[in-house]
Amino acid sequence: MIDGLGGALSHIFTPLPFLYVFLGTVLGIVVGAIPGLSGAMLIALTLPLTFYMDPVNAIVLLIGMYVGAITGGLITATLLRMPGTPSNVVTTFDGHPLAMSGRPGRALGLGIAASFVGGIVSWVVLLLLAKPLSIWATRFGPFEYFTLILMAMVLIASVSQGSMVKGLIAGFLGMLVSMPGVDPSAGQPRLTWDWYVLNGGLKLLPVLIGIFAVSQIIGDIVSIGKKVDRIETSLSGMLMSLRDWRRQAFNMLRSSLIGTWVGILPGIGASIGSIMAYTAAKNMSREPEGYGKGSEEGIVASEAANNATVGGALIPLIAMGIPGSVIDAILIGALMIHSIQPGPTLFLTNGNVVWAMIAACLVANVIMLIVMLCSVKVVSQVMYVPRTFLLPIILVFCIIGAFALDNTMFDVWVMLGFGVLGFAMERAGFPLGPFVIGFVLAPLMEEKLRSGLMMTAGSIEPIFTRPLPMLFLSIAVILLIAPFIRAWRQNRIARRAGAPGLSSGEGDPTR
Amino acid sequence: MDLQGAPRWELGVAAFFVLACSVVLWETRSIPPGTFEPLGSAPVPQATAIFIMLLSIAVGVRAVRRLSTVSDLSEPLDYQPRPLDALAVALITIVYVLLLDARLLDFAPLTAIFLFIVISLLARFGFKAMVGAAVAGAVTGWGAQYIFTRVFVVDLPGL
Repeated sequence: MIDGLGGALSHIFTPLPFLYVFLGTVLGIVVGAIPGLSGAMLIALTLPLTFYMDPVNAIVLLIGMYVGAITGGLITATLLRMPGTPSNVVTTFDGHPLAMSGRPGRALGLGIAASFVGGIVSWVVLLLLAKPLSIWATRFGPFEYFTLILMAMVLIASVSQGSMVKGLIAGFLGMLVSMPGVDPSAGQPRLTWDWYVLNGGLKLLPVLIGIFAVSQIIGDIVSIGKKVDRIETSLSGMLMSLRDWRRQAFNMLRSSLIGTWVGILPGIGASIGSIMAYTAAKNMSREPEGYGKGSEEGIVASEAANNATVGGALIPLIAMGIPGSVIDAILIGALMIHSIQPGPTLFLTNGNVVWAMIAACLVANVIMLIVMLCSVKVVSQVMYVPRTFLLPIILVFCIIGAFALDNTMFDVWVMLGFGVLGFAMERAGFPLGPFVIGFVLAPLMEEKLRSGLMMTAGSIEPIFTRPLPMLFLSIAVILLIAPFIRAWRQNRIARRAGAPGLSSGEGDPTR
Repeated sequence: MDLQGAPRWELGVAAFFVLACSVVLWETRSIPPGTFEPLGSAPVPQATAIFIMLLSIAVGVRAVRRLSTVSDLSEPLDYQPRPLDALAVALITIVYVLLLDARLLDFAPLTAIFLFIVISLLARFGFKAMVGAAVAGAVTGWGAQYIFTRVFVVDLPGL
């Protein structure tokens, strides 16, 4: 471990890789600070530029963006009450009231320090857990893998914003969209409608750029008339005193661990992590009445947790090839573009890349802290970049990105098509995260199921007789039926109380 | 954004999913059964399409029930949404991509014109914004062409 990490750190501190981590982190902060743009969008758009880069340089650039984007959203969440990225929603609850009370520097300072601590705590867990977990995962057979992915898919759907049914539809749709093309198990084309361009299937990058970037651009154009109120950024009180550190230490550690744990669970992401940490902090606080009115504990809990999900989410990616969040799904795509197969053998086959990912996570957090403390006033100005100029230019970059993959206009049309689909899905309340994770995981899931069935001559008995597949399947079933049981109980309580049921949709799992 | 989704959108998207999955199911009929392995290529897409259809029908039914009550639930917006502008940008983008595909013009001039039109449209054709749009279009068009072809050595559409 020491050798691997030491080697990766010494490599990252050579000029070119360090430049990439630095550039990635700064770009991530800037994009995160622009309302309407997200880290997923930045990383999806950057992927085509990494084709010709060394895999290690490419991956450290993307990790820097990942860390930077989650932190950059803190600025708009605090100063504008507009979360720069979805993971900063909870920061708006207390960050903005504190900023409005004349202490924007204090609000930003707490958020930056908490983000750094969250990032470092989750990095330590990543360092300690990734390799042992990957060694354990090498013992997984096809049915263990199949049921693990099935469980991950249900978990993603059950915690996605909106409704579980819509999350499931989005996940299944992502799976279905990954299926056209030559079936790798049988070697024959399927779902191609005899159209030769579909023989290679729909590629990850155009689908990703369409779903995340183009759909967001369409949505931003619809709401382009939204006014942004200016607030002056004063830096006074930004640095935390020793007393502040002592007061917030337990909150920071608890929130960081919650964020790391949520990050490890496949597909959940930073938004849920920050909500859970915020709720825990409020429930355990001596001053819960201050939450939502500029509570310093609230800002710390939210920001420590959302940054901690980064390291946590990298653990299942590195150890098992299962994305812990949407951005991790894109990172899996980046690895595959560079002919690196994610999975438990990644430490053996591409150890240098794995250690570079782990080292880049640490270095990016340190760079983030320094850049945010030194330039938050400058960065906060990018919030006011006119979107009338920004959105069309990003659209052009989307087209370049989709085309650059294979130099075919078909990919550009695919991207535009998925942009419209993504916009419609968002308007209808379908979450996009499960779609992307379904798209990335479906080929692996199908391959494992079919290879398992080949080994057992078509019998699915091992799923019910081996402990791990049975455990994963049981968790998936519980996650599936729990919302329905909860809805039934709520309706029963409402009926007993004489209320006319929950007609507004509360307690309805299809909501 | 409303996490429940607007019922009309819900209904439209659910109907689209049912239709798309029906097309997929029809197509899977032509996939031959597996020869060397028990499952074959068709059952997984078939099962996935059926799941989506069933769940979409559930969402669609609920959307129909919500249609009558949604006007009471929707919150007023503090800005004027511009869906027609989004539609216009979408159409202009389709024309732009068709022209890139046809290679009638180089990437740089075509991109400059595209950006000029779209930025001017979004800025409601104000004079200052149109001047800015012309500059932004030219800088992005020729700048991107230079950077992508010379620095990143990536091919661009239309070239």
